[in-house]
Amino acid sequence: MFDFVGSPVPVRPDLRYAYIAAWNHLSRPGPTLTARSRIELLGATRRGEATSASRMVGMGQTLGELADSLYHRPKDVDETLVRAAADAEGDPTAVEVIAIVSILSAIDGTHRGLGADLEPLPEPIVGPPTGVITEGLKRRRLHVPAPPGPIPFTLDLLPDEGAAFQALFGPQYMTGWEMALDTFFREPGLNRAQIEVVSSRTSFHNECFY
Amino acid sequence: MLRASAIAFEYQIDTGAIADPSIDLGVPGSTALIGFVDAVMGVSGDPEAARRTVIDEVGPEALVDAASVFGNFEMMNRVAEATGIPVAGAALERESITVESLGLHRFLKRS
Repeated sequence: MFDFVGSPVPVRPDLRYAYIAAWNHLSRPGPTLTARSRIELLGATRRGEATSASRMVGMGQTLGELADSLYHRPKDVDETLVRAAADAEGDPTAVEVIAIVSILSAIDGTHRGLGADLEPLPEPIVGPPTGVITEGLKRRRLHVPAPPGPIPFTLDLLPDEGAAFQALFGPQYMTGWEMALDTFFREPGLNRAQIEVVSSRTSFHNECFY
Repeated sequence: MLRASAIAFEYQIDTGAIADPSIDLGVPGSTALIGFVDAVMGVSGDPEAARRTVIDEVGPEALVDAASVFGNFEMMNRVAEATGIPVAGAALERESITVESLGLHRFLKRS
């Protein structure tokens, strides 16, 4: 698993292990969706067919539209699209779809960057949704309920999804304490300024301030 | 964060290069790294050639770092847009020159 077939260079073990952990996370039942629904939705999303396939996996069309747009056309994602999905299916399910599609976008994005074949999606683990949802959060001025704080906490309506999201920061970018160091560098590899060149240009094309 | 890290490494940078690659950013390897992002995102250039340029000019390990940072921000940008998290006013004021030079106002939702 995660052999990065086609990559012209070997891949750091920490990145590989992080992606195996993320794949295991995606293969398990989520807070509101079964593992089967999660994996079928992600497969359809990769193909750009989540909108039409969403009913087959027991979801409303708005969730499929959110998944397709988020993966393929993130610039099109706005409050109207997110609220339509959340109003139809509930805030937790909308956040779950945002989380799993964003995690898939990260892992597939790294593979595309390396020119590697995309990793086949994992087999879903049978079981009911976990129902692990934080109580008492409000939308405040966001599109979905979230605790106050910076972007790492925005998926914490669903603690397990938030943790899977945050676990990717270190291997892909920097850990929390590394982010505090303007002089951080990987040896061998990129230094902090070079890392921020890639992050800035990516965000520029995605028309996102972050 | 680009500006702060460039200062820390004592690079003289022009952040306008993030919007206009014809400008020299002033960070070693930045032309190769910007070309890599552009090619992988289908904006311009051949991805295979862009990867080779990163390997040759910055190093093989740098390609892994560049790809994983790219992947990370494919994720972060999507979470930011989908959740609608606003940018803190203090951060906007601190980065006002960069926001102006890159024309970022159109992307912003102020908190």
